[in-house]
Amino acid sequence: MILDFLIDSYVQLGYSIQVIEIKFTGRGGNGVVVAAQMLAKAFFLSGFYPQCFSLFGGERRGAPVKSFLRVNSSKILLKCEIKKADHLIVMAADLLPEEPLTENLKNGGLVLINADRPFKVEGPFKVAYVDAQKIARECRLGNIINTAMLGAYARISEILSLNYLEKAVREYVPSKLDENLRALRRAYEEARTF
Amino acid sequence: MAELLSGNHAIAEAVRLSKVDFVAAYPITPQTPIYEKIAEMISEGKMCGQMMRAESEHSAMAACISASLAGVRVFTASSSQGIAYMHEMLHFASGCRVPIVMACVNRVVSAPWAFGTDQTDTLSQRDTGWIQLYCEDGQEALDTVIMAYKVSETIFLPVMVIIDGFYTSHFIEPVEIPEQTLIDQYLPKRNLPNRFDLSNPAFLQNVVDPPNYTRFKKRQFDDTLKARRLLIEADKEFGELFGRSYGVVEPLELADAEIGIVTAGSMTSCARIAVRTLRSKGIKAGLLKIKLFRPFPYNEVARYLGTLEKVIVIDRNVSSGKGGIFCDELKASMYNLKNRPEIYGFIGGLCGEDLPPEKFEKITLSVLRAKKPWDVPKWIHRMRF
Repeated sequence: MILDFLIDSYVQLGYSIQVIEIKFTGRGGNGVVVAAQMLAKAFFLSGFYPQCFSLFGGERRGAPVKSFLRVNSSKILLKCEIKKADHLIVMAADLLPEEPLTENLKNGGLVLINADRPFKVEGPFKVAYVDAQKIARECRLGNIINTAMLGAYARISEILSLNYLEKAVREYVPSKLDENLRALRRAYEEARTF
Repeated sequence: MAELLSGNHAIAEAVRLSKVDFVAAYPITPQTPIYEKIAEMISEGKMCGQMMRAESEHSAMAACISASLAGVRVFTASSSQGIAYMHEMLHFASGCRVPIVMACVNRVVSAPWAFGTDQTDTLSQRDTGWIQLYCEDGQEALDTVIMAYKVSETIFLPVMVIIDGFYTSHFIEPVEIPEQTLIDQYLPKRNLPNRFDLSNPAFLQNVVDPPNYTRFKKRQFDDTLKARRLLIEADKEFGELFGRSYGVVEPLELADAEIGIVTAGSMTSCARIAVRTLRSKGIKAGLLKIKLFRPFPYNEVARYLGTLEKVIVIDRNVSSGKGGIFCDELKASMYNLKNRPEIYGFIGGLCGEDLPPEKFEKITLSVLRAKKPWDVPKWIHRMRF
């Protein structure tokens, strides 16, 4: 709640923040596109100006999918791809060899990886992990790991309260609302930095 | 009230706010979400009006023409091959002087088969007699659909409201949704003529002789030119009511500029950043965003670009064997001016190729160094950045 208050007043006082660029990578079926949309909504509810978009190869299960989110305190004019993000959310770790961190993340950037054990990566990055797959399965969500990833993101990024994410999840998930909220909260607790 | 909306859904909201009576359309990526959202709003009772699932874009446009002739407010949307398939009906629409508003979501015209944005689909319809308005983002698209009805129902000409596929259609951003009561005030229901009289049936488009045909075409031509003034007024009135207006073109930092960049559509946003960066480095760069393409804004182009030394036109479209279409139109429109700039044409952003601000900056620097302009456009993807 204190965090909500701080962020709200920050925006309402008209301070401008630098655009935060967030990138999601994963596979069709993980919920990559909706993950970015829910996070955009959460930022929007907390008073920020988000801009959210996706890149599709073919729209099919298993195909690599990327989603993008920019967050600012005012209108965003940048209408182009995010090459190197401030925050990278890797929903399918097996894509990392194809999508190396050095090409997708700024130096000093934050990466959150869906992995079942601490994930060692090379480079000047802040690394965090969460076993979103396990959480999603145990919450009866199968391969849809987006709410778990977002819960973990809220914990490690420290720029958005879980409260706004819960509101966004309520609006966006078409079914299994309780399961999704449980995954969100559990991942918030279980996210670990490395 | 602001809501998080994609450009497509912003257009659907505009259709709802405009209290459209009849929508006939056929799905095609990247336009389909407009069609789906309208269907959803009608089925949930959030929007009155009827929706017709046409069996093709050609039939959709034919249905829109007929419905409009019966005096109701009509909307459709399409992209790419769908617009191409409508082509002959587009001539019929402008010739029948029906006030249809169509949202066009730019996408490459196949082959090769692809999904990204390319304005060639709408620019290929240049001579169909439709008014064409190119929008930069979802907010502008929403506002422009509403303005388009006002102008269209005044001058009885159909209007295309055009956005870039994906960059605008699928980018989700906060969009301000106007109050319905204010929209009703701005865009009241008109008593459009019903040209079908069931008790006295008659053929609508009879064969005419050359003098009548020419008189008709001259009148259509003159009215199309008049649409520019109407658009300027509609935009001004919209601004007074809602606090947002766009002009038929938008000049940025051109007053003291030496070099100007000309853009249309979503690429304008990144070009704005580029101009700011170039200015901060002491380069007197400016930008002209062209929103209105038909009728062509001769006066504005001459006023804002006539005094510059160099003008860069970036075309997200191509007329094979000639060049970028905006560039060629701009050159032709300035030919009779006493003072005119050198015009440098570039083609880029095809199929949604990324055009970040740095590319605009580097293009500007390269043109500043150039000794004389070229006839055949340079392709941005071949340039070294």
